[in-house]
Amino acid sequence: MTTLLRAPQKAAPKEPRRRGATERQRPLWLLTPGGLLMVVVILIPLVLALWISLIDLDQYTLRRWVEAPFIGLANYAESLDSGLLHSVWISVSFAVLATAATVPIGIAAAVVTQNAYRGRGVVRAVFLIPYVLPSFVVASVWRTMLQPDGIVNRILGTDGTLWLNGPKSYWTLVLVEIWAAWPFIYLMALAGLQSVDHEVHEASAVDGAGWWPKLTRVILPYLRGPVLLACLLATLNHINNFTLPFVLFGAPAPDDVNVMPMLVYVTSFQSLRFGLSAAMAVVSLILVLIPLFVYLRAVRLDVHDEGVRR
Amino acid sequence: MSAHAEATRLLPRPLLVTITVLLCAMVLVPLSYIVLASLNSDVGVAAGEFWPSSFGLGSYSKIWTTADLSTGIVNSLIVCGCTAVFSALLGTTTAYVLVRYRFRGRLTILRGLVGLQSIPGTLMLLPVFVLFSSAGNYLGLTVVGTRWGLFVAYLTFALPFSTWVMVTYLRGLPRELEEAARTEGASTLVILRRIIFPLSLPAIVVAAIFAFLLGWNDVLFASVLTRPETQTAAVALQIFGSSQEGGAVPVYSQMMAAALVCAAPVVILYLIFQRYLVGGLTAGGVK
Repeated sequence: MTTLLRAPQKAAPKEPRRRGATERQRPLWLLTPGGLLMVVVILIPLVLALWISLIDLDQYTLRRWVEAPFIGLANYAESLDSGLLHSVWISVSFAVLATAATVPIGIAAAVVTQNAYRGRGVVRAVFLIPYVLPSFVVASVWRTMLQPDGIVNRILGTDGTLWLNGPKSYWTLVLVEIWAAWPFIYLMALAGLQSVDHEVHEASAVDGAGWWPKLTRVILPYLRGPVLLACLLATLNHINNFTLPFVLFGAPAPDDVNVMPMLVYVTSFQSLRFGLSAAMAVVSLILVLIPLFVYLRAVRLDVHDEGVRR
Repeated sequence: MSAHAEATRLLPRPLLVTITVLLCAMVLVPLSYIVLASLNSDVGVAAGEFWPSSFGLGSYSKIWTTADLSTGIVNSLIVCGCTAVFSALLGTTTAYVLVRYRFRGRLTILRGLVGLQSIPGTLMLLPVFVLFSSAGNYLGLTVVGTRWGLFVAYLTFALPFSTWVMVTYLRGLPRELEEAARTEGASTLVILRRIIFPLSLPAIVVAAIFAFLLGWNDVLFASVLTRPETQTAAVALQIFGSSQEGGAVPVYSQMMAAALVCAAPVVILYLIFQRYLVGGLTAGGVK
């Protein structure tokens, strides 16, 4: 099932279209239940979000939101004064830092579990633990451990240090995200490593290449495609991550960790400024669309032939 | 060590051992503290013990009265269980049409399936909330605060991923069996029920589990679309955690026990279906 995530340059030439006897009566109506749901709960809300971002909607106008006054781009203008740029910066820097830190960890983990040895199964299972644990559980336990009188301060001997508030909270967020997210890069890198042919290993063994040149010149280039895709997806997930900051710090979040999802959430469900919050959410969508667009170009969607599983 | 293993070895042994030990420690040190703290007493944890002076399951029995965890877990199981079943079935049907038939807009739908998974939940939450509450105002239906509302939301957000998992699986399924059945005069629904569903059961299980986890792991929608009676396990744990600050005696041991209880269903699912799920992870690229 790993066929989808191949580097674009490896794309096979397009298969000729098949037109079998089965294609004449196409049961497209089977798409309706799923399609209808997605239209009602995804497409309509998307359009509605755009609309709300252009109207002055708050708790007073919510009951009759259809009649709320249209105010054009005023919400967008106001969001610039309400800490939007600060949050964009926090979100982007947090996402990039987390991705940059997880890549070497993930690749190293994949490289050390590539060869079979006794107990490898256990090691692989251990590597997956942070990933398997639900985000809200990870955030809850770290929140407990990082309390001023918690275990982290006891072990470090830094009694009373605030990890969940003030300037250190940013690094708390980055570190906990790294702890939770590196196995994703590991899994993708492992899938890439397994696609390296045995001949490649043998050839470099015959050449007598040392382990470091072999690793950096021969093996790692194979990982470029899968790891780049993993980076894109990981960055998207970091930017969209609401659970971790919400459970770690609570709402409203401290200023240093006021990432986009938190800002949008607090603006709508605590300040009850729905129009303003929608404008901020639209900005965060645009932020996400950039890596998403690159990703969609890279994934092969049009494989349509049976037996293409590799 | 065999010649094969020798040739494919990537790192000198000492380095390999060092990295493995470091990575395992990074995971296992916090984890073992969490487990040990949950077996300790609240007083012991507050005193800063890493190794409990007395082991006991006291925290595991206390959490059910301290936090509203049982309501949360029951609600989560109901909502996520239904989400899993329906999104796997709908996803299979949708994927079957997308894989086996060519029609205008097919590629757009496939692209949409991948793209929709990356739309920020915070963008969708507000309009979904507005729509659900206007269903109350204009149609006289209560949606916000009910399990139904949450179910519909989770089902829709799980559907793109379930469909995507099924698309990747069904692509690999040979057509001959269906074509034979079709020449025998079987209708599409019969083919789906008798051929596609049984043959793709492993993938359906994966799709269902991912849909279940999507709901189980969600805090965003559950925190807005539920009332105390309908709150999910995630919300119950989050509230329990944030109610600790300012309290007289911190109950960190119970906190750890509650967190582990909330993680248990997920861990069990992974342990049972580990082999399938890891493949599904790399295929969809989403947690």
